[in-house]
Amino acid sequence: MRKLIIIAALAGLAAAPPPASPPPIVLSPMIPGDANVTAATVSIDAFQPDFDVYSWNTFIALNWPPGPNGNADPKQTIGKNKNGDNDTVWEHYRDVSDIFLPGGAKPAWNGPTQIPDACKPVYKPGMHVMSQVGKNLLTPTVVSAMSEPFNSGPLIDQNGVYTRFQIVVNKTMFDYILANTLYSKVGQKAFGNTPVKFTCGTIDGNGKTLVEGAIMVKSSWKVIAPSETSRFHSEKVLVYSPASQNPKYPAQCTMKTVGLVGLHVGHKTQHASQWLWSTFEHVDNAPADAEVKSGNLKAKYNYYNPKCKDCKANQIPPRPWDPTKVSSFHSQIVRMNQFNLPIYAQSAAARNADAHKLLAGVNAKSVWANYQLISTMWPTNPGNCAAVPGDPLGTPAPTFLANTTLETYIQGTTPNVSSQCIECHNNATMTTPVASDFTYVLQRAQ
Amino acid sequence: MTVTPAPDSDIQDFADMSAALTGFQSSVLKPALDPVQLARTYYTFAVSQVGQSAMTSLLNAYRAIKTQPAQQIADSLLETSAPTPSQQAFIAQSILAMWYLGSWYPPGVLGGGGFAPPALQVVSSEAYTNGLVWKVMQSHPMGYSPFVFGYWSQPPGSLSTFGVNADGGAK
Repeated sequence: MRKLIIIAALAGLAAAPPPASPPPIVLSPMIPGDANVTAATVSIDAFQPDFDVYSWNTFIALNWPPGPNGNADPKQTIGKNKNGDNDTVWEHYRDVSDIFLPGGAKPAWNGPTQIPDACKPVYKPGMHVMSQVGKNLLTPTVVSAMSEPFNSGPLIDQNGVYTRFQIVVNKTMFDYILANTLYSKVGQKAFGNTPVKFTCGTIDGNGKTLVEGAIMVKSSWKVIAPSETSRFHSEKVLVYSPASQNPKYPAQCTMKTVGLVGLHVGHKTQHASQWLWSTFEHVDNAPADAEVKSGNLKAKYNYYNPKCKDCKANQIPPRPWDPTKVSSFHSQIVRMNQFNLPIYAQSAAARNADAHKLLAGVNAKSVWANYQLISTMWPTNPGNCAAVPGDPLGTPAPTFLANTTLETYIQGTTPNVSSQCIECHNNATMTTPVASDFTYVLQRAQ
Repeated sequence: MTVTPAPDSDIQDFADMSAALTGFQSSVLKPALDPVQLARTYYTFAVSQVGQSAMTSLLNAYRAIKTQPAQQIADSLLETSAPTPSQQAFIAQSILAMWYLGSWYPPGVLGGGGFAPPALQVVSSEAYTNGLVWKVMQSHPMGYSPFVFGYWSQPPGSLSTFGVNADGGAK
């Protein structure tokens, strides 16, 4: 994105010719510090492919196998294991539940995982919290969240099981929270009215990452059968449902194998004070609206039953919502067309094809080839790690973007209502009435 | 029936003409990186209201004088010195109002008693949120704000950060 400011200043150019090919997606453990805009002409059509390449390079680096310290291990390669799956870098980031601790206690990057009481009996002997990592297959992750943004409703798969969500942040973001005592309500109050300003990533003139900016990763998971692990990045986790009074059910914690179905990545980069937003999904999640209309459907989806002709699409499950039980309601999810320009879908499809070929070249069984980029949202008028006062949203492209597993019920094109990463996150504050730099996680402080 | 999209050259001329009418720079109305595509939206909407022939006539009138200073272009197209502006000038007025208010006012339909005429309709949600009037006011429309929580306690950004061309030129 380094060229964006300069190139944008040259606006007023004639109509752009067809976009040239963007740089290739690469098998690299390096998270891009920013998008490397190589387009020679200034247009959305020309720029979008560069941002989508950034997203895939980010996806590959985040899902790269880590070494013992949790950082990417350059000696390994994504998906190269016999089963096509691997532990990932981002799963060694810090879960927000381990940052915003009871009583506002000070967290540590390598501190223990918070295990709810209901989960403690589920531990098996030998399952220790590894001191150098947040989680791995021997350290069950606790996933509890079961509702989507603004409590708009849960997502229930075709087996009647609730989808679960998790948010983690990278060390850059964690360090900023720690250094500014934003992990507690007391600390946030002491922070005063100073605007929160997370660290921006930077790249050099050759596109090499100099500084990794603040990164948030939000993931969605569905419970899968052992026979399904070949199609998903999977983990054994403790699925935790806190006790509820309405509807009334006790806390429940069970160990399950879950498969990754959605992945949001927000990254604050040098030239994107509004952050760059990449969203990925499992290819089997749901059909697009056009595919439903044309009847061009797969035999099976994670969140859509092609045989059900009477199932209404994208309906919020009826209450009561009880994630401890198997639901008779199965979500019938359809991806609605949210793009006002064809380039967004065209570019994502082209980059998906390139990335899938690259990943399958490592291992024909790579589970990572079963994920697709939906799009990348980027500010067209970004500022330089500081928003332009008159255009704090940076006029994002695309104008709307939703992940069917994470913004299921707010797909659309209505400002302030439909899913729009930058616009929505711009409303975020801390527990004090101070804007929190495009993240809601600081509201979890106790 | 298949509707052929207007050529980019017409949209660019429409944006350039609109710049002269509104006082904003053409690069603000139709930026090179333009995810919202408001110039095309407005052009298409205006054509649907006044017809292609009337729009082409107006654009041709603009093309004939486009090298003149912006204020002269505006005065000429709006016929500001004419006692009874032509229908073409009324169309230019409606286009001007559309950019500022995001709504279409039928050409030549005037309000009474000091009140503006009722808008025929808001062109689109993007038109509502991107009306130039909000930039000039350094503010935002009702029900939609791009600013962070608590922005009201801080001075607004400068007019230039809102894309307002403070020296009045359109180029």
